[in-house]
Amino acid sequence: MMHQLATQAYLNTRVSTLIERLMTVPQLEQWVQSPLPILVEQFGLAGLVDERLTIADRRRALEQALIHRLLADLVILSRAMHPNERVLMLDWARKYALFNLKTLIRGKLQALDRQAIHANLFELPDLIRLADDSLFGSENVLELLRRLEAGPYRQIARQAREVYEQRRDPFALEAAIDQRYLLDLVQRIQSFGEPHQTWLRRLISAELDRIALLWLLRFRITYRFSPSETYYWLVPSSRLLTRPRLLQLVNLEDLDQILDALPEPLRRLTAACGSLAEVEQRLAKQTNTEIQIVLARSPSAVARALAYLMRRELDLRCLFVLLQGRLLGFPELTVNEALAQIQPAILGH
Amino acid sequence: MLRSRPMKHVRLLVLTQDLPRLTLALAASQCFHPDPRPPEDETLATDPSQGFCELYRLARARLDKIARLIPFALPATLEPLQAIEQDTLDRLNQWLGQLWDEVSAYEEDFRRLADEERLIQEQRAALQDFAQLNIDLKMLRSQTRFLQIHIGLVPRENLRQLADAVSLAGYLVHVYLERGEQAHVVLVGPNEPAESSLDSLLHAAGFQPLSVPEGLDRTPVELEREFTARLSSLGQERAALIEILEHWSKPLRGRLTEAERILTLAAPLADLDTAVRSRGYLSRVAGWVPASTLPNLRQHLDEILGSAYDLSVRDPRPDERPLVPTVPVKSRLLAPFAMLVQQYGIPAYGEIDPTPFFAASFLLMFGSMFGDLGQGAVIALAAFGLRRSLGRFWPFGLLAGLSSMAFGLLYGSVFGYEHLIPALWMSPLEDPLLMLSLALAWGIGFIVLACLFAIYNRLTVGDQAAAIFGQHGALNLVFYLALVAGAWQMATGQGLGVLPVGVAILSLAGLAWHSWYHQERAPLGERVLVVAIETLETLISYVSNTLSFLRVAAFSLNHVALSIAVFTLADMMGNLGSAVTIILGNLFVLILEGGIVMIQVMRLEYYEGFARYFAGTGLNFRPIRLGREPS
Repeated sequence: MMHQLATQAYLNTRVSTLIERLMTVPQLEQWVQSPLPILVEQFGLAGLVDERLTIADRRRALEQALIHRLLADLVILSRAMHPNERVLMLDWARKYALFNLKTLIRGKLQALDRQAIHANLFELPDLIRLADDSLFGSENVLELLRRLEAGPYRQIARQAREVYEQRRDPFALEAAIDQRYLLDLVQRIQSFGEPHQTWLRRLISAELDRIALLWLLRFRITYRFSPSETYYWLVPSSRLLTRPRLLQLVNLEDLDQILDALPEPLRRLTAACGSLAEVEQRLAKQTNTEIQIVLARSPSAVARALAYLMRRELDLRCLFVLLQGRLLGFPELTVNEALAQIQPAILGH
Repeated sequence: MLRSRPMKHVRLLVLTQDLPRLTLALAASQCFHPDPRPPEDETLATDPSQGFCELYRLARARLDKIARLIPFALPATLEPLQAIEQDTLDRLNQWLGQLWDEVSAYEEDFRRLADEERLIQEQRAALQDFAQLNIDLKMLRSQTRFLQIHIGLVPRENLRQLADAVSLAGYLVHVYLERGEQAHVVLVGPNEPAESSLDSLLHAAGFQPLSVPEGLDRTPVELEREFTARLSSLGQERAALIEILEHWSKPLRGRLTEAERILTLAAPLADLDTAVRSRGYLSRVAGWVPASTLPNLRQHLDEILGSAYDLSVRDPRPDERPLVPTVPVKSRLLAPFAMLVQQYGIPAYGEIDPTPFFAASFLLMFGSMFGDLGQGAVIALAAFGLRRSLGRFWPFGLLAGLSSMAFGLLYGSVFGYEHLIPALWMSPLEDPLLMLSLALAWGIGFIVLACLFAIYNRLTVGDQAAAIFGQHGALNLVFYLALVAGAWQMATGQGLGVLPVGVAILSLAGLAWHSWYHQERAPLGERVLVVAIETLETLISYVSNTLSFLRVAAFSLNHVALSIAVFTLADMMGNLGSAVTIILGNLFVLILEGGIVMIQVMRLEYYEGFARYFAGTGLNFRPIRLGREPS
């Protein structure tokens, strides 16, 4: 018991120290006004102004540097964790390996050469990376997934292969990968005791609610999927968009009907939204709020650690948007709009 | 012996067209480790081997996949040693691609047969459960006017989601069997035109339809006979497929062997990867070579390239030390110890290779802690007997056993018997205090030597400050020696002594000053706290690390004590019981105590030794070579 308390205290202290790195809205607003050289100096990203590199190379270097920062924080936090907590963190971070998997699949579908595919992959630590070299040697998507089934991504690869064998549709394949990732995360949380499970569930549910609503609107309204197929791809949460609620929502036909039928606070939050982009922005706000609540109030250190990583990821995405906007010379308005999709509180949005 | 083999940095300039021949010469010399850094001369910027590497990887992957289905002989020789041009590789890759298209069709056929077999097994298992379905089974095979029925398998993890989803289309799901990762289900719903959406949903959920066998009303024996017949037919189909593949692939095998030879010859250029840079007709290759093998390298270059190359050689610069590879220990006896050292890390270039010291100190400590002529002989014989399965590791067991035997002779101990042979020295229990004192002396010697290694390693890389003030540096060593001198004087009744105390305080003050100086950015309170804790930690750690070596004596005493316990138990039994107890007791001591002693010695080596002086941040020397040379 004492040992557990000590570990919790240590992890909590680690999280509290790292929270200092998170961006505040005024800071972000200040950086929005800053020119590229100042931002580069501020964030120690000297490679971004290296004239010898192409814009694409600099953009990739930026993306890579930001992911490394996030994963470096993950490594620091995971050192202070129990094995099952560490596994949860790694499961969460596996989404980057799955981005790589999707890139590989798209590359194979479009018959791109090794270099073209490689240029779009994230460089990841061994703990979560795919066995890229062996996967590159596969001639097609099926062979790639069969090879992946031999490793730690067995479950995801098997489901993706079965789906792909049945219908040779990249959409179904990627949806299956995303769905399995989220279901695995939900399952992992169930192995935790109290109070961790409650707070982890709250955190993950915020993310699941956001994703489920966006997928619901996209599949039902944009792609015109049947209610049953739409429902199949959704992952219910245990808080707002639960299983019965989703079963009810997928039967509705248009945006207004769906938004009207949402539970509170989603209904209030999305009231009068006219488009999916608008809904996405408002949902981002709700997710941010939940992350803040877990960071501020949770007695569970592991939930706080995961909340920190989720929040840090949002910050780094903001930074990426900002620096990429500067790099490509986008107008300020465009950059601000993109930032508001991630951090709705910025510039009075 | 403790120092790394001196290395040289070499840069080769050749005509780009000669690159394949150059790599052949480098591979044949087996002493060239590529340096992947871009050249300082930016005009040599392009990587001419990029296309070659890409082709090589593709061709290699294809040949490996083909080899899974078509076994072929490896080339008996790589002769004639010829440079592989990109065109040759391209042609080979194309041929392998076409071949793989055909071979993969066979692979798919084998998979299909395996899937069908699996389905039959599933049906066989499900048959009994059909009986539990409370409906007319004949209906399952026929569509009705109003009802659509699907029977099949679904991955269990998708079941709940599927059941919810199909309920939206008015379908019911009945699970009649769960087996392994699959659930057997019957889906029943309205026969409506919206069927296509259900199909795509079933596909998404990985639903595999199962056909209901004809004549379900037949006897189980008949049905079983049908399943067996179908399985047997699939078995025949597989045998026929293997025969066809065998027949079809026969004329290809020679060509596949030749493909293997070409790829083996092409591998060195692919291994060079970014170590090659070029501009126009000129190419540059850089790498590391052991200084002693330079004449060998020149000889191979002369033989293959004549004089059409330029070789420049220089010593590694200080800033390049982290990039210089370390040549591993070659000795067959030391090889298993080198493997254990590599579990901790690879010696950096210039750093002392701890393998010989590790081997000697390991054997000394293991033997002294587990000294028994008989049990040592068992260990040595077991290692020798199992040398095939232990591979390169068997000399480790042999040497450990021999060391145990040597100390057994010194202690006069054979299978725990202390009086069968006269001790060349004495039994540990005769004078435990002497044993403990010797262990302490050994520990002090070990720590002093480790500190000297640490100082040497830092001086080698030009880090004088760390050699003096760093952890386990000269100042630490002075402090430790003063501490030992003070303890010795105390033990001999002369008190701590002014000189040892003075030297210890001065050296501690020096360490504290160094720590203080390095914390200049921290607030005052934090500086005081860090300096105080670090100084205290230095004092405590040296004392505790020295005492840690008492376990060397403790285990030698423990070994005798355990043997006494075994004999005491044996004495309480009859003749047979006594013999059994002695044999089992010896086995117990051999396995349990032997294992614990091994762990304890490794702990002393890693934590009291390596952690003190061995960074282990080096790179292994991996010369490019022509695959595995055929024997």
